[in-house]
Amino acid sequence: MIEVENLEKKYGDVTAVSQVNLTAEPGKIFGLLGPNGAGKSTTIGCISGLLEPSAGRIRVLGHDVVLERRAAREKLGVVPQELALYEDLSATANLRYWGAAYGLRGTELAQRVREVLVATGLVDRAKEPIKRFSGGMKRRLNLGCGIVHRPRVLLLDEPTVGVDPQSRVRLLEVVREQVEAGTCLLYTTHYLEEAEMLCDHIAIIDHGKIIAAGTLAELRGMVGERDTVRLAGRFDPAKARGAIGQIEGAEVVHAEEDELRLALREASQKLPQLFSALTSAGAVVRETTVTRPSLESVFIHLTGKELRE
Amino acid sequence: MGFVLNAALKDLQRHLRDPLALALWVALPLLIGGLLTLLLSGIEERPPRPHLLVADEDGGVVGDLLVRAFAAGRARAFLEVEPAETAQGRERMAQGEASALLIIPAGFSRAALRDQPTKLVLVTNPAQRILPEIVKEGLDLVVEMIFYLHHLAGPELHQLLADLPDRREPPSDDEISLISRSFSDRAQRAAKYLSPPVIELASTADQPSSGGPAARTDGVAKHFLPGILFMSLLFMAGNLSGDLWRERDQGTLRRAACTPASTAALLAGKLVASVALIFAGALVVLTAGMLYLKLPLVRLPLAALWSALAGAALFLLFLAVQLYASNQRAGMVLTNCVAFPLMFLGGSFFPFESMPAWMAAVGRNTPNGWALGRLEEILFESPTAGHLAGMTAIVLAVCGALFLFSERRLRRAFVRR
Repeated sequence: MIEVENLEKKYGDVTAVSQVNLTAEPGKIFGLLGPNGAGKSTTIGCISGLLEPSAGRIRVLGHDVVLERRAAREKLGVVPQELALYEDLSATANLRYWGAAYGLRGTELAQRVREVLVATGLVDRAKEPIKRFSGGMKRRLNLGCGIVHRPRVLLLDEPTVGVDPQSRVRLLEVVREQVEAGTCLLYTTHYLEEAEMLCDHIAIIDHGKIIAAGTLAELRGMVGERDTVRLAGRFDPAKARGAIGQIEGAEVVHAEEDELRLALREASQKLPQLFSALTSAGAVVRETTVTRPSLESVFIHLTGKELRE
Repeated sequence: MGFVLNAALKDLQRHLRDPLALALWVALPLLIGGLLTLLLSGIEERPPRPHLLVADEDGGVVGDLLVRAFAAGRARAFLEVEPAETAQGRERMAQGEASALLIIPAGFSRAALRDQPTKLVLVTNPAQRILPEIVKEGLDLVVEMIFYLHHLAGPELHQLLADLPDRREPPSDDEISLISRSFSDRAQRAAKYLSPPVIELASTADQPSSGGPAARTDGVAKHFLPGILFMSLLFMAGNLSGDLWRERDQGTLRRAACTPASTAALLAGKLVASVALIFAGALVVLTAGMLYLKLPLVRLPLAALWSALAGAALFLLFLAVQLYASNQRAGMVLTNCVAFPLMFLGGSFFPFESMPAWMAAVGRNTPNGWALGRLEEILFESPTAGHLAGMTAIVLAVCGALFLFSERRLRRAFVRR
């Protein structure tokens, strides 16, 4: 479990993060999203103990990361955004070194190295210098080095940046396995669909402050986002507008003779009412598509910019 | 302790993946030292000879005697004499082809034999400094010899050669016989002063001020071995200290800072790996040098251990320098700015024995110069156990202070930048 209370980090007069509060639960993935320079890496740096907070408190499994540095770090695994590996060494040597750094020794270390090599799909290339690896393989090893000591809390900073689809699938499998094993996971990513797919809880950080937090559904509800309904068929635009106008909360965004686009809350529940109104207006509906609001749209709504800006 | 060894093993594996760099750190100083040794040994065996042109405008006996004195016996080994016309000689001097031109003016022999004032003209080459001086000193000696000869055997010479300068012919057998008997009488009278000589020249060479039986091997290479070794140590220590930047740039240093392992353990691992490599490098250089100089190999282990200890101190010194650099390139520049003056002053390029006294005094007090002096004691003398313990304690104390300083800098600033 990660508990962050009123975290503040200043560099001279510049405040990198302020009043950050979050709680990540065991066996769940907490997503931390934000544009570049929003304060994600500073927050992760403070949690990992690399940076000393200017104010506030951070506990990892109950251990204060400043006052009980060693105890907190023993439970923590960190997978940095940039590859942090020894290119001259083999995958095995890298895993052995990082395992030893977390206190693993002897047969336990050797066994864990084997397990991680299997989990990351690198067994066949285990003895090669990793400078010969592809980008995706290095990413997998980067993740492997962070989990070799079976951490109970794992910080993943953009673990899938620039990887091929095959490696991405493998990486996400490993992440899910960690969560299933009860690991508490803090995850930052630029890929919002990844966050939507993985995260149980999401916090959006911008200008060093958390501006929204909750489950995906809560975030959608928080910003009042409406579903989009696209109807294909044969319509009389004027009659269609009149019929739709009678449905509470529904708005015609676009009306043509062969296509109609509407915006409304809880669209899937209101589809029968929608079809009835359009039929009475003489319309013929051949195809219907309902799109739920994405995290991307939530993000833009909250921060005023796209995540990759 | 386990992590220290693991970190050291990791660094050793990484460095051994680049054997060419390791070999160069050892081979380059050996090459430089070998070339310098060969160069200076060559000078010892065949020193440059002054080239003297002689323009004899007189053509008399004394002038001839003077020229022969330069060109005969041992003098020939030090001086190359070539007859020349005055004008031609001056032209060749203008082109810098000789060290000096000696002009024996007309009437020189007559004046010399009659004890009348006369002079020789010596033109020296301004582009050369030492060689013309050798000619001048030699000429002074010969002129002085003629003066004493004249005073010792003036009457006989006068009788024999009164008209000789004018006739330009060798004396007859009767004249030589007469002169020889007269010289013999004078020599017998002077023999009680000359044989045995009442003044004896005692020749001594400086001996080492301390230590047991002198085990120093003569030759230039002896002076170069410790310097070559320390050049190698400085190369290795400087390059190995830069590894911290490579770790920082590839992100492993920050990652390591997130683990329970302390920065002290991380640094200690680097130190252990570096010292192991420095020890191996020192062993190679020392073994080669000691075999070449035929030094007793029983001193090898102690010399190698001392070199490794000194190398550890140099590594930590360079590490402290690197930790203040803004980037890897600046780190290497800063390290070189420290290393090369240390090499130059500390006796790596030139032995202290060949330096001006003030420079040698400064050089012997540089960190590497001081350690080099102690290595010379180990190699060529027999330092006592107490002395060894004292110098080891000094280096360990320096290492400890530098380690603490570097660890603090690493933890507080370098990793987090």
